Amino acid sequence: MAEIKIRNLHKEFGTGADKVVALEDVNLDMGGHVFVSIVGPSGCGKSTLLNILSGIETPTSGSLEITQSGHKAAPGYVFQAARLLPWRTVMDNLLFVQQDKSDETRARCQKYLEMVQLGDKGDKFPGELSGGMQQRVGIARAFSIEPDVLFMDEPFSHLDAITARSLRRELHTMWADTGKTIIFVTHDVGEAVELSNRILVFAQGGRLEDDITVDLDFPRDAADEEVAIAKASVLRKFEEFDLLAT
Amino acid sequence: MTAVATKPPSSSSGTAIPPRRPSSAPMRFIKSPRFARAMFLPAVLVFWLISNKLIENSWDFDSSVLATPREVWDFMWAEVTRDTVAPKDLYETFGISLYRLGIGFSISMILGTTIGLGMGLSRAVNAFFHDWVMALLAMPALAWALFLSLIFGFDNKGPIIAVVLAGIPFVIVNVREGVRSTPRDLFDMSNAFGVPSNKRTRHVLLPSLYPFLFASARYALSIGWKGLVIIELFGGQDGAGWTVKFWYDAHRLHGVIGYSMFFVIFALVMENAILEPISRRVFRWRPSLNSPDIVEEEMDALYDVEELNRELDANLPTGSTQET
Ligand SMILES: Nc1ncnc2c1ncn2[C@@H]1O[C@H](COP(=O)(O)OP(=O)(O)OP(=O)(O)O)[C@@H](O)[C@H]1O
Ligand SMILES: [Mg+2]
Repeated sequence: MAEIKIRNLHKEFGTGADKVVALEDVNLDMGGHVFVSIVGPSGCGKSTLLNILSGIETPTSGSLEITQSGHKAAPGYVFQAARLLPWRTVMDNLLFVQQDKSDETRARCQKYLEMVQLGDKGDKFPGELSGGMQQRVGIARAFSIEPDVLFMDEPFSHLDAITARSLRRELHTMWADTGKTIIFVTHDVGEAVELSNRILVFAQGGRLEDDITVDLDFPRDAADEEVAIAKASVLRKFEEFDLLAT
Repeated sequence: MTAVATKPPSSSSGTAIPPRRPSSAPMRFIKSPRFARAMFLPAVLVFWLISNKLIENSWDFDSSVLATPREVWDFMWAEVTRDTVAPKDLYETFGISLYRLGIGFSISMILGTTIGLGMGLSRAVNAFFHDWVMALLAMPALAWALFLSLIFGFDNKGPIIAVVLAGIPFVIVNVREGVRSTPRDLFDMSNAFGVPSNKRTRHVLLPSLYPFLFASARYALSIGWKGLVIIELFGGQDGAGWTVKFWYDAHRLHGVIGYSMFFVIFALVMENAILEPISRRVFRWRPSLNSPDIVEEEMDALYDVEELNRELDANLPTGSTQET
C-alpha cells in the first residue's frame, strides 16, 4: 500500500505578468486502501497536482514523498482521454508500459483486460473500439502494472451517462478487490460521493479548501437518501467557499 | 386486390419515401463505377481517332505526322520486345533513369528528414533554412535542368542532384510538420508510466512521423521523377527523358506518345505495386482510413505553396530580430 506525503507544495506556471499560481501551499497525507476524490472548479490545479504526483511536472517548491510497498517503478495513471497508441493493438498498448514481455506479464495484462470485460479485444486496434472501450483499456493499462497507487484525471467525463455509470461500478469493484490507493479527479460531485471515502475540495488558485470524509457503506446509489444528503452537503461547501461563482 | 401494396406514398404522408425500384442487373452493371472506369480507355481511343480525322480534314496536313493508336501500340510493343532504333533499348533506358531516381530519392529522404527534424525541433534551425526551402520550392525544374547540365555536363551527377533538389523541400516541410505535431499527450503518458526514452522514441515518436515520412516519399518520388525527365531531356545523353527527345527529333509522334505512356505505366506500377502495399501495411491501424488517398490529402494540403509560405512565415521567430 502506498503512502503519499505532500508538504508546502507550490506550483507556478510562467513568469512576470503571465504568472499563474496552479497550486498554493498544499499539505496532504493520503494512503492505505482509500479512494480520494479531488473536486473543484476548472483551472484550480487538479490536473497539475496529479501531474506532479506522477512526475510529468515538477513542483516549483515544496516536497512530495510517495512510498510504495516493495519495488514499484511507477504509479498508474488514467487520463481524461484514453491516450492509447493508435498504431499498437490493445494488448501491445498494455505491454508498452510493462517492464518486460514475459509470459507472466502477458497473462497479467490479459487478466486486467478481462477485468474490464475486454478479454477478447486484445488484438484490436484502439480505433476499432468505442470511446468507452478505449477508456476501459486505459483503466486496464493503469491496473496492469499493479501499482500501489493510481491517479485518475476525470476518466469518465467524456463518456455518456450510461457508460460512465457502468465503468464507475467496475472501478469501484476493482478498487475494492485490489486494495489500491486511488486519487481521482472529477468535477462531478455526485461521482465523488458515490465512489470515495474522502473528498478534497480545491478552490481557484490551487488552495486546498476542505477535506471531507464520506463514511457510507458501499455500494452507493445516487438515489439513496444518505448519498443524496452527502452530495448536497458537499455542494453546500462549494457555495460556502464561493466556488460556484468562479 | 393489390391496392394496399401499391398505395402511392404521396397520398398518405409527406415523409414517406417511395420504395426504390430494384434496377435490372445490366442496368446496375452499366451504372457501376467499375464499368465507368473501364469505359475510360475506349472513350479516349474514340476521341483520339475522331480528332485525328478532324485535323486531317480541316487542314492541309501531312497526315503521316499524326499518330494512330495502332502505330503507338506497335511502337510500344516493339520497344518492349527490344526492337528499337534508339541507341539504348527500353530496359536499359529505364534502368539508367531508375538508378538516378533511386539515388536522388534516397539522398533527398535522408537529408530532408534530417533537416526537417532540425527545423521542427529548433527555431534557430528553422530560421536558418526557411528562405532556402522557399527558394527551392519556387525554382522551376527547368531552371535546375539548364543550370545543372551546364555545371556537370552529361554524366549522372546533374540528374541525381536535380532529383534531390526537386524532392527535398517537400520532405523537409513534411517532416517538420510531423515533428511539430508529435502527440504531446502520448509522451506525457509514457513519462507517467516511466517508459524508458529509447522505447518512447521507437513506439511513440517514429510511428507518429510515419504518415509524414510516407507523404514525403510519395512526393519526392513523383516530383523527382518529373524533374529527372526534364533534365535528361535538356542536358542528357541517355535516360527516359532523353529518349523522348530522341523520338521528337526524329519526328515520330507515335514514339513520343508511346514513351510517355511508358512513364504513365511506370508511375502506376510504382504506385500500385510498391507504395500502396507499404501504405496499407504501415497504416493498417487506421480502421477506415487505410486507403492511400488519405496520405494524398495530407500531401495536397502541403503542396499548396501559398499556404506553405504563410505558414513558414508565421513560424519564423521575429521577436529576437526586432529587439536588437
Ligand atoms: N503547462 C502549463 N503552462 C501554463 N499554465 C498551465 C499549464 N498547465 C496548467 N496551467 C495553468 O494552471 C492552472 C491549473 O490548471 P489545471 O490543468 O491543473 O486545472 P484543472 O483543475 O485540472 O482544471 P480542469 O478541471 O479544467 O481540468 C490553470 O490556470 C492553467 O491555466
Ligand atoms: Mg484538468
